[in-house]
Amino acid sequence: MLACVLIPGFELRAALRGKTRLLLQPAALAPMSGQKQEIGAVTAAAEAAGVRPGMLLGEALATCPSLRLVEQDPAETEQAWEEIVRRLEGEGFAVEPAEPGSLYVETRTVERLYGGVEGVLRRALAAVGSGWDARAGAADRKFAALAAASVARAGQILVVASEETPTFLAPLPLGVLPLERERHDELETLGLRTVGHLAALPGAAVAERLGPEGRQAWHLARGGDRRRVRPRRPAAEIAEYLEFPEPVDNELTLRRALHALVERALGRPERGGRGVRKVALQARLIGGGSWRRTLTLREPAAERDRLRVALGPKLIELPAPVTSIGLELVELAEWTGRQLELVKPEGREIESRLKEGLRQVRSSAGAGAVSTVVEVAPWSRIPEQRALLVPRD
Amino acid sequence: MVSDPGAAGTARTQRLNEPRPALVDAGFDGIPQQVDRHAVALVREEWHVVDRWWTEEPVHRRYFDTVLEDGRCAVVFYDEAGRGWFTQSA
Repeated sequence: MLACVLIPGFELRAALRGKTRLLLQPAALAPMSGQKQEIGAVTAAAEAAGVRPGMLLGEALATCPSLRLVEQDPAETEQAWEEIVRRLEGEGFAVEPAEPGSLYVETRTVERLYGGVEGVLRRALAAVGSGWDARAGAADRKFAALAAASVARAGQILVVASEETPTFLAPLPLGVLPLERERHDELETLGLRTVGHLAALPGAAVAERLGPEGRQAWHLARGGDRRRVRPRRPAAEIAEYLEFPEPVDNELTLRRALHALVERALGRPERGGRGVRKVALQARLIGGGSWRRTLTLREPAAERDRLRVALGPKLIELPAPVTSIGLELVELAEWTGRQLELVKPEGREIESRLKEGLRQVRSSAGAGAVSTVVEVAPWSRIPEQRALLVPRD
Repeated sequence: MVSDPGAAGTARTQRLNEPRPALVDAGFDGIPQQVDRHAVALVREEWHVVDRWWTEEPVHRRYFDTVLEDGRCAVVFYDEAGRGWFTQSA
């Protein structure tokens, strides 16, 4: 069976670590500067006052004037999440983190160790810790496990037997499906209220009316795929930090700091000559919040210049002056050398490599990662109306 | 809403070169002096785009093609409908 451990509002809980008093008050995760002014996760007190995640900031403050806004803290979130995943791995679980606050584990491998599926789930919740209000669900499919964890209460476990999956999913509200708000409203207008209502429709008709997104939701409503858990590779644990004596927002200084960090991180003996596959750049902001960007390199690299070129443009995205900056080598390649080519590829060889490259991009970045530019109104005076990016899936 | 555990995202057609919000400090005459915290060295060109005035979503923008002090070029526009500053390749 597959188990899902869920911590609703994880980012907010992580940002409020050490400020537990605020968890009992109406509080919400503030929007990031430069992004849509929608609030993130909210506390139970805020929800009781009528505030909902995704509300516009102004609307939320009008609904609950005493609402406290909590600065987003991606670095703290990442760190807290990493601690939880490592605690679970320490208990012998093969963990596939989906996003901060949601992960999957395979129960089959540890069922005998912890006395059945329920024992595994209890052990997993204990490993996460009681302060996070985690809940767990298990089923034979990922989506059903996720839905089970979503309807469970804090500290509760919910196991859905294989034959009960359709009857379990049927009465759940459509909100559990990953649908855009417009699609959701469209379904409600059509009189559909539950997952079962959607699952009962013919798939082709749903796809015709709602497109690929609707088809995917329909597929999930019927249980989804029997995908296995793909456990993550253990993190590399190589990180370097630099504290500034005073807040810095000068790009040149930040670039110099980045150069020093790259130099130091690549010089760490734990790297053992291996190339870097995934890297994270993080900073603590002057207002107390933090910023973090993760980058996966096209192919593992151990050259200073390649890392600097890849990471440099990220510095422009910094929303405020920073008091410290850090570089983490998140994932390393497993080999040290690099195979070069003796003969330059041509013709069909190049074509097949291109196809393979596109396939890899699609599988790592998901649907829509490969697109074609289609000119629709090249004469338009409004630049964004000249061309469309059409996914090639 | 629960996110889909498997799919990384649903593919959809989108516009190319959509305007992105920009952090711009403008002078009293509305000409940018700083773009994303970088001082503007030169405004190379300025133009207006007024279009779709017959629809419910009229477009009225004042574009500036600028060169920043660090040598980069940036095209920014002020949305006269009051929605603020944006950057976009013109």
